[in-house]
Amino acid sequence: MSVTNVGHPASSHIHPPPDTFIKKYVFSLDHKVIAVQYFITGGLFFVLAGLLAELMRVQLMGPNNHVLSISTYNQAYSVHGSAMVWLVIIPLLTGGFGNLVMPLQIGARDVAFPWLNMISFWLFPPAGILLFASFLYGAPQAGWTEYPPFSVQASFGTSMWCMAIFLIGVSATITGLNFLVTIVKMRAPGMTWTRTPLFVWATGVTAFLSMIATANLSAALAGLFIQREFGVPFYDVSRGGAPVLWQHVFWFYSHPAVYIMILPAFGIVSEVIPTFVRRPIFGYKAIAYSSATIGLLSFMVWAHHMFTSGLQHWEQFAFMVLTMLIAVPTGIKIFSWVASLWGGKIRLDSPLLFVFGFLSTFTFGGVTGILLASVPVDVHEHASYFVVAHLHYVLFGGSMFGIFAGIYYWWPKMTGRLLDERLGKWHFWSMFVAFNATFLPMHWIGLHGMPRRVATYDPIYTSTNEFVSISAFVLGLSMLLFAYNALRSAKNGEIAGPNPWGGRTLEWMIPSPAPYYNFKEIPIVLSGPYDYGKPLPYANVDQELATVPVH
Amino acid sequence: MAVHAFTMSDLEYAEIRSHRLLGFLFFLISDCVIFGDFIFSYLYLRNAAPIWPPVGIERPYLYLAAVNSVVLFGSGATMHFAMEAFRHSNRTRFVGLLLATIVLGSLFLGGQAYEYTHLRDTWAGSTFGASFFTLTGMHGFHVFIGVIFLITVLIQTLRGTYSAHRYFGLTAATLYWHFVDVIWVALFFLFYIY
Repeated sequence: MSVTNVGHPASSHIHPPPDTFIKKYVFSLDHKVIAVQYFITGGLFFVLAGLLAELMRVQLMGPNNHVLSISTYNQAYSVHGSAMVWLVIIPLLTGGFGNLVMPLQIGARDVAFPWLNMISFWLFPPAGILLFASFLYGAPQAGWTEYPPFSVQASFGTSMWCMAIFLIGVSATITGLNFLVTIVKMRAPGMTWTRTPLFVWATGVTAFLSMIATANLSAALAGLFIQREFGVPFYDVSRGGAPVLWQHVFWFYSHPAVYIMILPAFGIVSEVIPTFVRRPIFGYKAIAYSSATIGLLSFMVWAHHMFTSGLQHWEQFAFMVLTMLIAVPTGIKIFSWVASLWGGKIRLDSPLLFVFGFLSTFTFGGVTGILLASVPVDVHEHASYFVVAHLHYVLFGGSMFGIFAGIYYWWPKMTGRLLDERLGKWHFWSMFVAFNATFLPMHWIGLHGMPRRVATYDPIYTSTNEFVSISAFVLGLSMLLFAYNALRSAKNGEIAGPNPWGGRTLEWMIPSPAPYYNFKEIPIVLSGPYDYGKPLPYANVDQELATVPVH
Repeated sequence: MAVHAFTMSDLEYAEIRSHRLLGFLFFLISDCVIFGDFIFSYLYLRNAAPIWPPVGIERPYLYLAAVNSVVLFGSGATMHFAMEAFRHSNRTRFVGLLLATIVLGSLFLGGQAYEYTHLRDTWAGSTFGASFFTLTGMHGFHVFIGVIFLITVLIQTLRGTYSAHRYFGLTAATLYWHFVDVIWVALFFLFYIY
């Protein structure tokens, strides 16, 4: 078999095949191997951060519990939040799915800078280790947002937090730069912007946000670090600094980060729906352009996290309106996805189930987001359990359901084997029910006035908290079903074949798992990827390989 | 299994070069954001302070910085003409101008070191010092990296690494040097004039 160059010279330029174990599995340059490294590392941190959550729920089983001390409880939720955001959701969506799927979908042989990709991954495990090792030196206690003055006064663990998040920030910036060059420059010949798969659109916008916003985060963290370690008075109010300055620079990153955490999940949903409904996606351009709109708007809404931080009234008003404006492009997406189901031949396999879970819970979280965007409501609900419920509906109900949909969808491409469908359905239903049982009641106790980030509560909330805790344990257990499914499939799962779902994007046009060079010949793209019922729009691909009977 | 050879044709190199150029541009943009964050912090603190500069803090000396700026902008000019000379394949002139750029860049660093040692305000001393030393320090670090970068380019030139069509390292160094110049324009205005 020889690899020939057709069309694009650059996409055909690729590093030589790895020859040693270290080059192949440790310091690999191959985007698919790096993706698996991200999945495994991110998965481990998911378990650790999840255990912290369970620990918090043990503490909250009753009022005035003494399972955790107050400061340990503070450490638990701070590290839980930081880890879930920076060590789980962002690396899994961008590093994991972005690496695994994006180069395949654009018909490239690797990302633009494989070396940078490897470096970017290897910044990730040290960051995670630093973050969890901060428990040895008094982990951060001011939440994942680390507002001064508490974060300036806290023990050395907070400096470790700064370093950890700085590393992950540099990693995300590099990945963003790398992906953006890849997407702009390396799409297969004929793949115009309006023929580009929607996951690639989402990853491109995410890469842009990672590049800009995360660079800003690195600067903000450096500021906090030098404030803590060298007394440089940026945030210390006693010496002319401004704690609210930290809130501005932090949220100028962290609101775009909300979209870094959800746009790739939008992309996954946009890929799964047409495949399992077997009809063209409704409103391709609307979905693509709304991703870009969300990306731009996300830089203009950061201060809606600061309505109680003493903003001017006109600022509050402006940020309220801009925030509500984001609901428009998001709503366009939701309507397009729902409209795509209309008249389709729906095949309710586990990836689509998770997408339905995503649609319902994310929409719910979006609606409570609109509530929180309105200043009069937010002033009352700020720092209550209502916010905890809202953010878990968008980050767990949105991002995590999206991640699981993506895992069930692309697992065959990654491993060459299928996950067990029955176990997958069990996993979905147990997770879906337990998720809602855990987080739905938090809306009520939040509206009722239970504050977040406190190790105890008024005894009138006891029964609800008991219910929530038990549901959270079930939610944790439901993950075991997935772990069992994954291990079983990796060992002796059914062989998937190149295209088990009958997908039409380019990653399904090659064997599973993909060979290291991805494409024998660089494909030529003749039209958009979602025209179900028409012949495949590609030249230079093995059509027979892609049209094996759907599993 | 035969894999194509890894020597690049000119066409392939042009493609790779365009990737690297875009990647480098993106790097400069994200670097710009990092400066932007601290500039925002400076303006925010300045705006929040009742008196500026804070009581007992004297502004750094304008004339020294002005001379130093002329040195840095001069190095931008020599870099520009060095690149022109390279494009016209005038190797002697190119090497001479590159050397001049390196010398001017180092002079700027020397001037900054002199300024730092003669200021009474410190990094942790006041909000002015915090912004001033962080931003000009970061900029100085960039100039330092730039000088190293230019020395590397000089060595590569003497070793004959660059050809008339393949000189990405030189392009990147030039872009970087001009970028560092432009950042200094903003910092000079913010700290010495505004």
